[in-house]
Amino acid sequence: MEMVSRRRRHVIDLDEMTAAEIEEILELTESMKEVLAREIKQVPTLRGRTVVNMFFEDSTRTRISFELAAKALSANVVSFSARGSSVEKGESLIDTVRTLQALGADMVVIRHSQAGAPYLVAQHFAGAVINAGDGRHAHPTQALLDLFTIRERLDRIRGLKVVIVGDILHSRVARSDLWGLTRLGAHVTLCAPPTLLGPAHFWTATWPQISISHRLDEALEGADVVMVLRLQKERMHAGLLPSLREYSRAYALTPERLERLGAETLIMHPGPMNEGVEIWPEAATAPNSVIEAQVTNGVAVRMALLYWLAG
Amino acid sequence: MRYIIKHGSIIDPARRVATVGDIVICDGVVEQVSELADLHAETESIGDDIEIINARGAVIAPGFTDLHTHLREPGEEQKETIATGTLAAARGGFTTVCAMPTTRPTPDTAAVVRHVQALARREGHVRVDVIGALTQGCAGKALADMIELSEAGCIAFSDGGHPVADAGLMRQAMTYAAALGIPVMTHCEEPGLTRGWAMHEGIVSTRLGLAGFPAAAEEAMLARDIALAELTGVHLHVCNVSTAGAVALLRTARARGVRITAEVTPHHLTLTDRWVLGKLVPHETVAVPDGPPPAPSSSRKGRRSAPPEQLIPSWLDPALLEPYDTSTRVSPPLRTQTDVDALVAGLRDGTIDAIATGHAPQARVDKECEYGLAAPGISGLETALALVLTLVHRGEMDLVNLVAKLTEGPAQVLGRSPATLHPGARADIVIFQPDQAWRVDASQFASRGRNTPLHGQHLKGQVMLTMAAGEIVFRRDHFGRSGEPRRATSRLDGFLD
Repeated sequence: MEMVSRRRRHVIDLDEMTAAEIEEILELTESMKEVLAREIKQVPTLRGRTVVNMFFEDSTRTRISFELAAKALSANVVSFSARGSSVEKGESLIDTVRTLQALGADMVVIRHSQAGAPYLVAQHFAGAVINAGDGRHAHPTQALLDLFTIRERLDRIRGLKVVIVGDILHSRVARSDLWGLTRLGAHVTLCAPPTLLGPAHFWTATWPQISISHRLDEALEGADVVMVLRLQKERMHAGLLPSLREYSRAYALTPERLERLGAETLIMHPGPMNEGVEIWPEAATAPNSVIEAQVTNGVAVRMALLYWLAG
Repeated sequence: MRYIIKHGSIIDPARRVATVGDIVICDGVVEQVSELADLHAETESIGDDIEIINARGAVIAPGFTDLHTHLREPGEEQKETIATGTLAAARGGFTTVCAMPTTRPTPDTAAVVRHVQALARREGHVRVDVIGALTQGCAGKALADMIELSEAGCIAFSDGGHPVADAGLMRQAMTYAAALGIPVMTHCEEPGLTRGWAMHEGIVSTRLGLAGFPAAAEEAMLARDIALAELTGVHLHVCNVSTAGAVALLRTARARGVRITAEVTPHHLTLTDRWVLGKLVPHETVAVPDGPPPAPSSSRKGRRSAPPEQLIPSWLDPALLEPYDTSTRVSPPLRTQTDVDALVAGLRDGTIDAIATGHAPQARVDKECEYGLAAPGISGLETALALVLTLVHRGEMDLVNLVAKLTEGPAQVLGRSPATLHPGARADIVIFQPDQAWRVDASQFASRGRNTPLHGQHLKGQVMLTMAAGEIVFRRDHFGRSGEPRRATSRLDGFLD
């Protein structure tokens, strides 16, 4: 079968990827960006290959981004979401994957609410598996596009101070960013209310080089990059937070905090944003915000990854 | 039928001694135990109804008692039946299993207890004792018919893996049990701390993004139950202790004279939450920010290439598993090495009385799914001995003490006579080779539950023969058969297969 990769078969997280492999994907992303800048935004690289997007959890931007990426590489793309598919009839994930295999899928992109689901898929699928976000575990393509965006603007990753602020505990983005950023030599500070982080050593045992903070104003000192995470409003209902008002005061990127940041400090957000909760519109649309660039780069990164896995 | 088991190392757990000798079994009871000095007398009396079992190099011990077995029948026969579960027990060297009440229906009335007892008499390969439900339906809302259950022969009360969240109800249940003189077996879990849990809360759960079952959830509930045991005077038996903090709580409670006993499972004594990572490399070898690329993981590669037989003690390698392998999901969850060390210490010093398998067979569909959706449980009867022998091979526990934890310990918890092979005792006997290396193949289990994280692992120590009430209920290959004709037959068997 042609799909056998000369490198890795799947990308489920960045934890198993070497710095060199990550760099290679970022290089490829440059070329893909070039393709997307052309008048005809399509190359025949994956012609005849079938990519299936399996989205068991709502997602607009990631799904569209993957669809556009696959189409730009001329692959056949099929997308389905849990709603209306056989999953609702009680079909197991394994059955679904075997069915896709039998239907001739070469690659699957999976988004799932359960951490670890992509590993299960990978065990029952002969082609490539790309994780598009699984529970709280990982979101490697988001981390890759974050890395790409930072490097595009600041020319490097190594030595940068990156602050990730918000609901770290429930964030797959934070975990994948941690692997990617630390492996490429950034200094990462996690900043969150204590209930949305857990004990510090749970994090530093796996990522010994990071810092932990519960005070955003201190954490932002000298930051080169601020990544703001989405706060799910359910967290407040689950009793993890006293109130959204207090959360915003302590952890949101407000106009006042924006003032104190350096003009060069990148502002990032994986989306979708709760404006007025974790980030103010003033910060989201500031000249140093790269939130839209993240979305744009997402397509190129996913093209690079599809290409890289197709070998 | 009369059996003479010859030349084995006989372990007498009640007296904590081992001697080499012979055992004569007749009509279901031990007739004679002779030490090496007087071995030569009886050989000429061999007739047709006498079989000599050659146990040279093997250990002979009283059959094991498992305090904590989920037989699943009635109600979940796709996972296990009394027939398959007790055969698995026999293969694991267990001659008595205590059936957990979380079946459908639960034994919360005498009628269900009698049904299980009748099934066990008809289809069981080993003795089955029934643990009655503590509350109706094990639902933690109202007391079961506890007097009736004790009259029907229940040996303990429990709600299985369901914690009784209502402290007031637990107090009433313990008060009843205390008056009946029957132990209450508890699974300690404060449900307010374990919502949506998938594994132990700690470093690994944080990395994998799985919701945690913190050690504190077990310890908080244990502290409550200890206080209630003191209040009511009940005999509290703590199931599947899994944390260092719980061991410390037990130790101080025992020192105060609280009537409390405890058990630990083979998997909690040997495996950690690191097993959920499977083949993913743990942090320390990869999380190097600036340094050179990670060195080739020397320990793992080295272990892989070495022939397993030469490995001491066992080939326990979590890297054989995929990440998030649902076979590692168990309640309470696999904890950390600190907890494992404390459990072993507690077992050694007597804080923990018994090893119990917590055998929890699951059907494939309950495990072949996402980690957080998988049913917890490990099918443990058939690997229990080999897994705990790891402690002996590592020098962390001596063999006689270990055997006591599978025999004498559970007997004491149940208030039974000491586990001893003496004339007149019921002939419940296990013979095992402590050094026999083997590879776990879950597809060969007698249990319907193939859910084990040990599939493919190399373990040392194998049960060769199990005798329940004088009947051979399990025999590996042709163990113990001597004489040329039989040997020739067995070789031929091999060719004809």
